[in-house]
Amino acid sequence: MTEEKAPKSKVSEEIRIGVYVCHCGLNIAGSVDCEEVAKFAATLPHVVLAKDNMYTCSDQGQALIRNDIREHKLNRVVVASCSPRLHEPTFRKVCEEAGLNKYLFEMANIREQCSWVHLYDREAATEKAKDLVKMAVAKAAFLEPSEEIEVPIIRKTLIIGGGVAGIQAALDLADTGYEVYLVEKEPSIGGMMARIDKTFPTMDCSICILAPKMSDVGHHPNIELLTNSEVIDVKGYIGNFHVKILKKPRYVTKDCSACGECTKVCPVTAPNEFDAGLAIRHAIYTPFAQAVPATYIIDMNTCLNKEGVVVCDKCMKACERQAINFDMKPETVEIEVGTIIVATGADVFDPSALPNYGYGRYPNVITSLEFERLINAGGPSGGHLIRPSDKQIPKRVAFIQCVGSRSNRNERLYCSNVCCMNTIKDSLLIKEHWPRTEIYVFYVDIRAYGKGFEDLYRRARKEGVKFIRGLPAEIIEDKKTRNLWLIGENTLQKELYKINVDMVILSVGLEPRKDSEIIQRLLTLSRTQYGFFMEAHPKLRPVDAATGGIFFAGCAEAPKDIKDSVTQASAAAARAGILMAKGKIAVEAITPITFPEKCKACGLCIKVCPYNALTLNKELRRVEVIEAACGGCGTCAAECPFEALTQNHFTDEQILAQIDAVTEHDAHRKIVAFCCNWCAYAGADFAGVSRMQYPPSARIIRTMCSGRVSPKFIERAFARGAAAVLVAGCHPGDCHYINANYQTQKRVERFWKRMEQLGLKKERLQLLWATAAEGERIASKIREMHQVIKEISPEEIEHSKRVFEKALGGG
Amino acid sequence: MPERIWREPVDSEKLKHSKAEIHIIKDQCKGCGFCIQYCPKKVLEESNEINARGVHPPRIVDESKCILCSFCTSVCPDFAIFVVEKEHEENVKQN
Repeated sequence: MTEEKAPKSKVSEEIRIGVYVCHCGLNIAGSVDCEEVAKFAATLPHVVLAKDNMYTCSDQGQALIRNDIREHKLNRVVVASCSPRLHEPTFRKVCEEAGLNKYLFEMANIREQCSWVHLYDREAATEKAKDLVKMAVAKAAFLEPSEEIEVPIIRKTLIIGGGVAGIQAALDLADTGYEVYLVEKEPSIGGMMARIDKTFPTMDCSICILAPKMSDVGHHPNIELLTNSEVIDVKGYIGNFHVKILKKPRYVTKDCSACGECTKVCPVTAPNEFDAGLAIRHAIYTPFAQAVPATYIIDMNTCLNKEGVVVCDKCMKACERQAINFDMKPETVEIEVGTIIVATGADVFDPSALPNYGYGRYPNVITSLEFERLINAGGPSGGHLIRPSDKQIPKRVAFIQCVGSRSNRNERLYCSNVCCMNTIKDSLLIKEHWPRTEIYVFYVDIRAYGKGFEDLYRRARKEGVKFIRGLPAEIIEDKKTRNLWLIGENTLQKELYKINVDMVILSVGLEPRKDSEIIQRLLTLSRTQYGFFMEAHPKLRPVDAATGGIFFAGCAEAPKDIKDSVTQASAAAARAGILMAKGKIAVEAITPITFPEKCKACGLCIKVCPYNALTLNKELRRVEVIEAACGGCGTCAAECPFEALTQNHFTDEQILAQIDAVTEHDAHRKIVAFCCNWCAYAGADFAGVSRMQYPPSARIIRTMCSGRVSPKFIERAFARGAAAVLVAGCHPGDCHYINANYQTQKRVERFWKRMEQLGLKKERLQLLWATAAEGERIASKIREMHQVIKEISPEEIEHSKRVFEKALGGG
Repeated sequence: MPERIWREPVDSEKLKHSKAEIHIIKDQCKGCGFCIQYCPKKVLEESNEINARGVHPPRIVDESKCILCSFCTSVCPDFAIFVVEKEHEENVKQN
């Protein structure tokens, strides 16, 4: 902090900051000398007390802060502990309880972004922690109290995906009394569970327990079911989402009584997707007998009638109720909801990516999903397990586990959770119908971790299912008999095997939906490295998305079995219900503040605003803010050339104070990093949680969006002698503020050009796109930049200080 | 449901197909070609023959492909083509 700029506070009282340095057990204290950091904090301007304690977030820690606020008349509080993404709400509440406005609280992230990423360099980690505290104190001095506006929450929920998770969430919410829109892409709800024959570990008939729930959804007065429909647009924010849904035509009206006469006369056929292509359906069909809605559907890709030309009208003639209408057009339904539950499910791995197993070439190699349809009484073979080549009942069957899971080969290192138990269940099903079938299960590890799972595993072994550890390296087909030879190594007995079977079932893993990118973009969600949706916190907020008002249920978040999907769905419904029961929500006070006297009415801010929240008042020649529409990215503040606009709680002076604090000492060895709250900052936190180690040269300044990073911040950092600057945000297209990060890109590119003209090394300013799951990208970028700054000479630092000298004024 | 569909459905043999018998009244045809153009299964083509009206009437390429939609009958301006159904033939694979 430079002394000359005493903060001009609206609170016309002396600034009294209290600093609390948390040990977090040994999480922080293990690599940071917390006592020393606290002692250092006590020397900083405006700090009236600095303490270190074991767990600041504990009841005692919170009580300590409350007492100090009252006793020492603190009017700013800084806690140096974990990420503000974790405990900022906790400490803000503590401040409020002690009568302090919650916007007078600031946090220094010395765990995820310091102690955990510099585990083996206590000295450097302690130095960095001091810097981070100094930055927080510097910002705290400029904090202003703010009042939050409250917006009403629409008491309706959109649920995307009508599998068992979506069904459960819909019923829970509808029974609570909220209106629910359930959108399903397929012609019927039911999802994966409807396709499975029996469930583990209880061996219940899957459709028998699901169908009543499906039927409840269809009849519930609070549920509007939109099948054969897709969400195409989502606008708005928590409590107030405006959603557009494309309802594709079924060509059959609700008058359909599902008598099936139309199907009998339909002359064209196609493989039924519901049966994994193993059964035939007609162009007019219902995917399965228990489908909800029961209304039939015409598949226009198969039907003879195209573009309004009715070539064949056999179905129309057969339909007594005249429910067929070839004139139906797609329609767009617009709805307003307060909360959204994402229950989009998962896809199964396509094993033709593994040529050694011959799937797609050998008819008798099938997937576990195909098996489910074959063993199902409602399936194409009427429940007779037949092998596809000769329709005979196989006498020797092999299951191969972890196909598309736990393997580097297809970059799917995760366990799919359900396949071990599914195979055990399947093997018992075969034994039940054809007890003399020989069954081999080739596995890596059998994971029978859940309630009742181990019992089922034991039962399978007792029934004579042979479990062999070691996956086959290859499957070779006997061209004449179409039997299959499995060749591999039994790693328990250390011997090679060559086993002949009639049929092989590949136990395929689960993978993210191929189109989950669309939902990700529409709702600005994050995804993990494998592509499943990322929760707000893995332990404490496992069903919340980072975006407010959005929740996850089922396999969209990670592979899980039916029980876990249902559990999570009920949890998501409860979380959405909590929000809606309150009926209103406070919006963070991070909207722009305008200084009308400086405004030249140039309109640049209006152009960059992603929300159209700014308007030009032509009479008064100034810009006005519509607070309720503002998303709070701050890109307008970065765009204004006249400093007539700034973002509340992320003001120019606050951010400049942070930059100045970083660059006060040894600036030439430091990287000033600006990270957006949603992706890059969260990614840096993730690097910490994963204990990825990187050099301690970076000091991260959090902004809500990378679009907040004004070129003058970069200038200031260089003018103060910083070695390098990093600007990091969400990937283009993934911005949590629609498209504000395109402004970031433009500004950085413009800055690079200037640097070139001024004879500065372009590498000193870096731009990085990283998601919340890409901790390694952040870590390796900092490693890379650490090498860059090592090679920067004192002359270069001096040069950049000189050329940006002007940036030192103001702020 | 995005799984790759590549197999012949296992119940395809059970499917009963109606067999068509296409009748073309050649001399009534004026060669407009509608039946050829609009047949959804492309069962017909133009023949080399010349009929009483001096035009090329259609000829059947593959009668087994016909699915008896009778659209040819509907579009024919000259009532020169009609299709009748033969009895069900069991165990006939769809093409």
